[in-house]
Order: sequence, then C-alpha cells, then structure tokens
Amino acid sequence: MIYSHVSKVEVISIYRLTRVNFMPPSRFPIPQGTLDMLILQILSLEPAHGYAIAQRLAQISRERVQVNQGSLYPALHRLEQKRWLKAEWRQSETGREAKFYSLTRAGRKQLAEEKESWNRLADAVRLIFNEGE
Amino acid sequence: MAKFLNAFRWKRRRMESDLDRELQYHLDRRIEDLIKTGLDETEARRRARIEFGGFSQAQEETRETWVWRWLDSLVGDVRYSIRSLSKSLTFTLGAGAVLALAIGANLAIFSVVNTVLIQPLAYPDAERIVSLETFWTNTGRADQDVSGPDFLDWQAQNNVFESMAHYGGEEGVAIVVGDRAEFANDMSVSTDFFTVFGQTASAGRLFTDRDVPTGGAPPTVAVVRHQWAESHFGSAEAAIGKTITDYNIQLRIVGVAAPGFSYPGVTDIWSPAPTSRSNRNASDYRVVGKLKAGVDLAQAKAQMQAIGDNLARQYPENRFKTAALIPLQDRLTGDVKVMLWLLLGAVVVVLLIACANIANLQLARSGARTREIALRAALGAGRGRVMRQLLTENCVLMGLATGAGLILASLLVDGLTTLSPADLPRLDEVRIDRTVLLFAVGLSLSSTLLFGLAPAINASRLDLWEALKRGGSKGATSGGDSRLRAMFVVAEVALSVILLVAAGLLLRSFQALQQADLGFTTERVLAAYTQYPVGSDEERRNRTAFYSDFLDRLRATPGVSSAAGAAFLPMGKEPRPARDYFIQGRPEGQPGERPKAEIQAITSDFFKTLEIPIRAGRDFERTDTLERPPVAVINETLARASFPGESPLGRFIRTNSKSPWIEIVGVVADARWQGPSQPTKPVIFFASTQGIGGSLSIFVRTSLDEKSLSGSLRTLLHEANPTVPVRFETMEELFSYSLAYPRFRTRLIGAFAAMAMLLAAVGVFSLLAYLVGQRTKELAIRRALGAKTIDVIRLVVGQGLRLVAIGLAVGLAGAITVARLLEKLLFGISPWDFNAYLGAIAALGIAAALAILLPAIRAAAVDPLIALRHD
Repeated sequence: MIYSHVSKVEVISIYRLTRVNFMPPSRFPIPQGTLDMLILQILSLEPAHGYAIAQRLAQISRERVQVNQGSLYPALHRLEQKRWLKAEWRQSETGREAKFYSLTRAGRKQLAEEKESWNRLADAVRLIFNEGE
Repeated sequence: MAKFLNAFRWKRRRMESDLDRELQYHLDRRIEDLIKTGLDETEARRRARIEFGGFSQAQEETRETWVWRWLDSLVGDVRYSIRSLSKSLTFTLGAGAVLALAIGANLAIFSVVNTVLIQPLAYPDAERIVSLETFWTNTGRADQDVSGPDFLDWQAQNNVFESMAHYGGEEGVAIVVGDRAEFANDMSVSTDFFTVFGQTASAGRLFTDRDVPTGGAPPTVAVVRHQWAESHFGSAEAAIGKTITDYNIQLRIVGVAAPGFSYPGVTDIWSPAPTSRSNRNASDYRVVGKLKAGVDLAQAKAQMQAIGDNLARQYPENRFKTAALIPLQDRLTGDVKVMLWLLLGAVVVVLLIACANIANLQLARSGARTREIALRAALGAGRGRVMRQLLTENCVLMGLATGAGLILASLLVDGLTTLSPADLPRLDEVRIDRTVLLFAVGLSLSSTLLFGLAPAINASRLDLWEALKRGGSKGATSGGDSRLRAMFVVAEVALSVILLVAAGLLLRSFQALQQADLGFTTERVLAAYTQYPVGSDEERRNRTAFYSDFLDRLRATPGVSSAAGAAFLPMGKEPRPARDYFIQGRPEGQPGERPKAEIQAITSDFFKTLEIPIRAGRDFERTDTLERPPVAVINETLARASFPGESPLGRFIRTNSKSPWIEIVGVVADARWQGPSQPTKPVIFFASTQGIGGSLSIFVRTSLDEKSLSGSLRTLLHEANPTVPVRFETMEELFSYSLAYPRFRTRLIGAFAAMAMLLAAVGVFSLLAYLVGQRTKELAIRRALGAKTIDVIRLVVGQGLRLVAIGLAVGLAGAITVARLLEKLLFGISPWDFNAYLGAIAALGIAAALAILLPAIRAAAVDPLIALRHD
C-alpha cells in the first residue's frame, strides 16, 4: 500500500479539517456577497493587507464579524480578478513585506452601487418589519 | 507556443509564492498578536493554526478563484488521466477498441446519411429545385411523367417559378464516336434545363432557344458530360466541334457541362428537344423547376395545384390530374430514406450498448479505485473536483477512441460504398466532411456523458470514512452500485434483442425474396444487351432481319439450347411505365380509370428460353412478320382481370386508341419480371418481328457456363454487324442486382446485431465475473458449510438468467414496436414472423449461456481453503 505511511488518525484529521468547513466560532455567518462589500468598505478608508482587514472587520463590528481565512483570501483574490482591487507588496507596520490591497476606480463605483442597493433593501425590510408591529 | 507556456508557468509560480507569503504573513501576525496578549509561543502557534483553519484549504480555495485556474487544473487532469489510463492498459485498450469500433461504424453510416439525406444537392440554390409531377386524384398517386401540353400550361400560368424544364431519355443508347460503337446515357432536354440547375458550361456553351429543332427535325447539337469529354477527347475544350452519331443522327458537340454535373443519373449526352403540344395523354416528360427566391414550397404547391385543377376542368383528359411539387432531394432520395435512417438507428443502438458496457467497466474500476479517490478527496479535492477528474479521464479515453473511430470510418466508408447498391443516389459524393466531424464531436461528447457520468457521480458520492477504513484490496461496492450495473446489463440485452429481431426479420424477408418463385428461370441464362440504332423504316426492317438471322446462328451454336430476344431487360433494369389498354367491343373508359398493362416485345422461343409455361394458345412464330396480321400474347393476370370466365384467345386488344386491333393468340403464366418483391402486373407481349419494340436484348440458355458463351456470342454479333455494341449479364446477376438493397440492409443490420449481441454478452459476462469476484468469500463459506458445486453454479446462473430474462422481455416488447417500422421493408413475411423472433431469442440465448457459464464455472472452482485464507 503506497499510502501506508499516512496513519489512519492523520487521514481522519485531514479529512475533518478539509471536508467539514472548520470555522472558528463566528458570531453569525456572513453571506458571501456581504463579505465582498465589507472588504470594499474597509479598503475605501485606506489600503490594507489581509490580516489588517480581518482585524478591522472584527474591531469595527465589535467582534461580531469574524472572518475565516478560507473565505477572506479567496474573496480578496476574486475581487482582484474582477479588477475592483489592486494589490502591491509594501512594507507593513512591522517592517515585513505584506500584500496591500487598495480600491480601484471600478471598485469605488461598485462599492457605491452596493451601498445604495443595500440601503434600499434595508429600508424596505425595515418598512415591512415596522408594518407588522 | 512554448514561449506562451513558459510565461504561463512563470506567472503561475509567482502567484503561488505570493499566495504562500501572503497567508504566511497573516499567520505570523496572528501569532505575534497572541504572544502580545501573554500566551507562550507554542500555545500561540496552536491557537493561530486552529483559528486559521486548514492552511492548504485556504490556499486551494484561493487558487480556485484564479481565472486561468480551470486551464491549469485541466492540464493537470489530462496529465493525470493519461497516467491513470496507461496504468490500466488492458482496460484502456479494450474500452478504446470497443468505442472506436462503435464510433467508426456510426460515422461511416452517418457520412452516407449526411451526403444522401442532409447535404443539399450539389447545385446552386438546390433547396429551390423541385420535381413537378402529375398527381392522379382518382388513385391518389404522384406520377413523375408529365404530358407536353400540361408542361406548357404549367410554365405559362405560374408566377412562382424562375425556370422550368423537362427532360427524358434513355440509358444505354448505342452511339458512335469516331469509329467506335459504344453505349451512352442520352437525355433530350428543353432549353432551360441547365438554367434550372444553375449550370454554366466548362467549355463551349449551353443550349439556347435556337438550338431547339422545329417541324419534327432531329436535333443537331449536344452538350456532353465533363468527364465523358475528357475520357473521349482528352479535354473539355478538345470536345467542342466534334461529332457524335446518336440514333443515326449527327450531333455536333457545342458545349461541355461543368465538372460533376450529370443530372439525371449519369447522363453523358444532352440534346435539345421541343415540347410536344399535341397529346395530354402522352406523358413523355419529367419536369424540374426552380422556385423564385423567397417563394416557399407551400405557396408554390397551392398555386400549381390551382393551375392543375383548372386544367382538369378545361380538358377531359385531365379530369383526374393535377400538379404536385416534391423537392428534388426528396424525390431522389425518398426510396432510400427509410433504409438509411434505419441503418443509422441500428448503429446508434450499437454505440449505446458499447457505452453501457464501458460505464459498467468504469463502475467496476471505480470500485477498485475507491481508495485512490478517497485519498484525493481527503487531501482537499472537492466533490466536483473528483467528478471532473473522472470525467476528464473519460473524455481523454473518448478522444482517443474518436480519433481511431474517424480513421476507421474513412476506411469503412470505402467499404460501404463498394458494398452498397450501385444506384444509391449520390453514392460518389459520400465523404467525411465538416458535418460528419461535428457529428463525431457531438457523438463522442454525449457518449462520454452517457458512460462517464454515472460512474463519476457514483465515485464522488463515496463515503470517505468507510472507504479508507476498509482495509483489503477488494475495494468497496454498495448495493446501489451493482444494481446500477445490473440495470446497464439489462439495457444492453434489451437493445441487442431489438437489433437481433430486426436483423432476423430482414434476413427472413431476404430469404423469402431469394426463394420467391419468379415464374421464369434464371439458371444458365445469359442476357446480352445490344443496341441497333435505326433512322428509317428500311433500317427498321433490316434490324428485324438482323436479329432473326443472328438468333438463328446462335441457336446453331454448340452448347446453346435455346435463344430469344426481348426489348426490355428484367429486374428493374429497363422498367417501362404501364400503358392503358383497350379491348375490342368494350367501352374505352375515362383516362386515369382505364386498366394498365406493361408492354414487352419479344421473339419466338422467349417463353421456352425462360421456361415460362404457355397456358393457352400459342407462342409467337417465325411466320408472325410485318406482312401478317399483328398478334399478341397476354399473361394470366391480364386474362383474369379483363377476361374473367371467358377465353381471351381470338379477342382483340390495343394500347393506343388509334392503332389497329391486335389479336390475342396466347396466354402465358405470370412472371415477376421486375424482381421478386414486385407484384405481378398485367403484361401484353407483342412480336418484335412485327416491328414493335426497338433493339433487342438476347437471352441464351446454355448447358455450358453462361460466361464462357459470351465470347462466342460477341464474335457472332461482330461478324454480323460491327457497329452493334453488346453488354453481357447473366440472369443470376440481374436477379442479384434486383436484391441489392435488401441485401445491403440485411448485411449491415445483421453485422450491427452481431456486434450488439457480442457486446451484450461481454456485458453479462463482465458483470457476473465481477460479482463472483466480490462474493468469493461468501462462496467459500457456503462451500465450507457444505454447499455442492451445483449449488454454487445454480447461484451464479440464477443471477445471470434473471438479468438476461428481464432484458429479453424488455427487448421483445421493444422489438414488437420497432418491427412495425420495418413493415415497409419486409417481403413475404409479417413483422410478427415467429421464426425471426425465435432466432433472435436463440442467438441471444446461446451468447448469454456462454457469458453466464464461464463465471459460474469460475465460481464453482472457488477453493474454500484458499479463499478464506486470502485477506
């Protein structure tokens, strides 16, 4: 058996880690589109690297929003592929090189549009909830 | 390309390292932050790792977002597929060969279907060219033959046709080119004939109105076929101005048609002809027309029918006639349509069975590959990813098979065109073109899905934990897995039963055709087709004398037991439209309602030579000459139809209401002159020695080998008159020619059915063998607990028989439905012919028995000791 050097316990733990989306307990799950929007919002303030974005999301939301790295980095790369973000390697506050993301013009436009439609949706939802009371 | 690949690799490497650095940075920062909160380094690392989740998973999921990622993984998948396929070489070769064979056969048949039925005819705007026909409202039948006055009225009164033309003529006309006598196919056409087909001349010119002879004069000019011009004069240009003698008429070649144009059939010579204005009953022409651009068929049909209906009110001869339009392509291919679609259907079924077989093999293999797949999944491959990998593997397999299939198809197409009836329309155009390639791609993709999807889904649904936990090398299979496989096998058996029944029916029908009583003998009879062209009455008399003289000399030749002449060859070689006939002392009846009979002109001894018994009266005699009153012989069908309960002898008959009455002097037995599948029709025989009929075909019965006689016959003929060309066929060959289509389809469907049966048997065998392999342990325990060999065999055989029985039942139900579609192609047997079904069941039974018995014997040979120690 060529795989015999992988012990069963190891295989099981790999399996657990990969198949069950092993998330640190977050306050509530963030829908994917929402995460994209939040990232754009954070970056509209100033360019930041991935770790800083995660930190800031947690801080500003008073720890209510905690992003899993398995979602954060795919989202960042996706937004970069869509050319809403651009990235460059820059020295970070600790002196090490980090990949800094910043908004492009298209990204700003996208953010404005998403905020607009989010607000409209939120207003609509509020109206409907208020009606029921 | 290499440059591009390098750039691609370089970019990919950079993105990979960037991603690593980026994620590493995140992790390190988290660890630092955790240490700042007072944790020691080891604990901080642990916590950070846990928070971060799967590092490689984050990596993998990020990679998935890269746009070119799919390409990257495709390359990987393909590479992996090739490795995996070459690892199991037996499977790959076996499956590849089966698929290649099935695909090849499909493409070959499809390329015929494509050329004959799908590709438009090779003329400009071919979809606008239609055949205009006479539609008989009393019989509900369309008849291609149109009368001259009708044609002129149709042409003058419509506004939907751009051009309209008529044509008519003969095949195998004797012509003289230079000093050589030979046969040519000759057509008389109206001026616009080439315009309808959008043709231009490759040399010289085509016809104009001035070429049309007037006042009964013969034509003086001709256009010839391109290849004919090249083979006779070296080039198209060289043919211009040369002279052909056709029916003793001098024709000057003024033009050569474009290469490839030879409508209708393979016409060598076209000459201009005027349109007869006189007789609406004489349907001498075939008519083609080209619709104006933008006019649709229904509109044109409606207008032509209105014109035809008008003429029906105007002229009594047209009482039951109107005009019908049929697209030329349908007219040319209508007869073979059913057959070709049937063949395509059959060969697709073979492919389906092949696919089911491959799917089954895949399922078995995926059982063996369970651990490999489980490990890939465990290492981070998502379910879609596993499925994609397996599908890619199938695509690679199918790609290879399709490539091989295309090569095979190009070989098969050659074989197919040799095997197929020589008069299959457009046979020479059959080739593998872009449509066929497109079909190949479509076919292989859909079959890949067909045989690849089920195993792929099955494998990706794998329960990882179970699969990895299980130790042995046997791999895992669930009950659902073998149920799916059993379903595939049942489907295979059912489909092959349908094909077997179809093949059985066609075979039985073919046998019936072969054994059909023709009513005349085909054994040891040589038929010599000759042409003796005449221009005047004197020459006509000379011809009669020539044939009488020639036949006498022939009868004196050693080995010849009997010889005679007849105007028209049998077996559909020279079919003649039936003609109205009249009987003296009876009302003439209305056109379209009159009885019709086939006409034949013969010499004395014709019935003797072909062994057709004379039922009453006499045969023609040498004394029945032009100077004596004309006589006729009729067949029994005509006698029954027109003279029920009375003797036709001494009665008078004629086929033209103005010609003299002809006395009936004999009645002969019926014969299926036009081939075994044709019903016997009323026939009137005239004496060729009384100036009726043209050149004769000579029939010679011999005690020797027919072919050996042809040499001496040719010499005799050449001595008598060197300008009379001759062509030989034995009656057996003519008979065989009449069976060309049934033989073709019977052979092909038979071959497909055999393939289907073989594949189904392999399917049954592989499933049972696999199940026996799976149950080795169980069988061993049974043996150990005292089960006898026979019990074990019964177990396996029972399992196999159940599959085959279900498949057989489903297949027979399907076959009964399919048989109804075949009805049109069957002769002499019903679509529910018991023997055909029995044969199919027997054939399948034998194949299945072998397929079941082999695994059963293997199961019986299981040694409990070895089997239980194993594992």
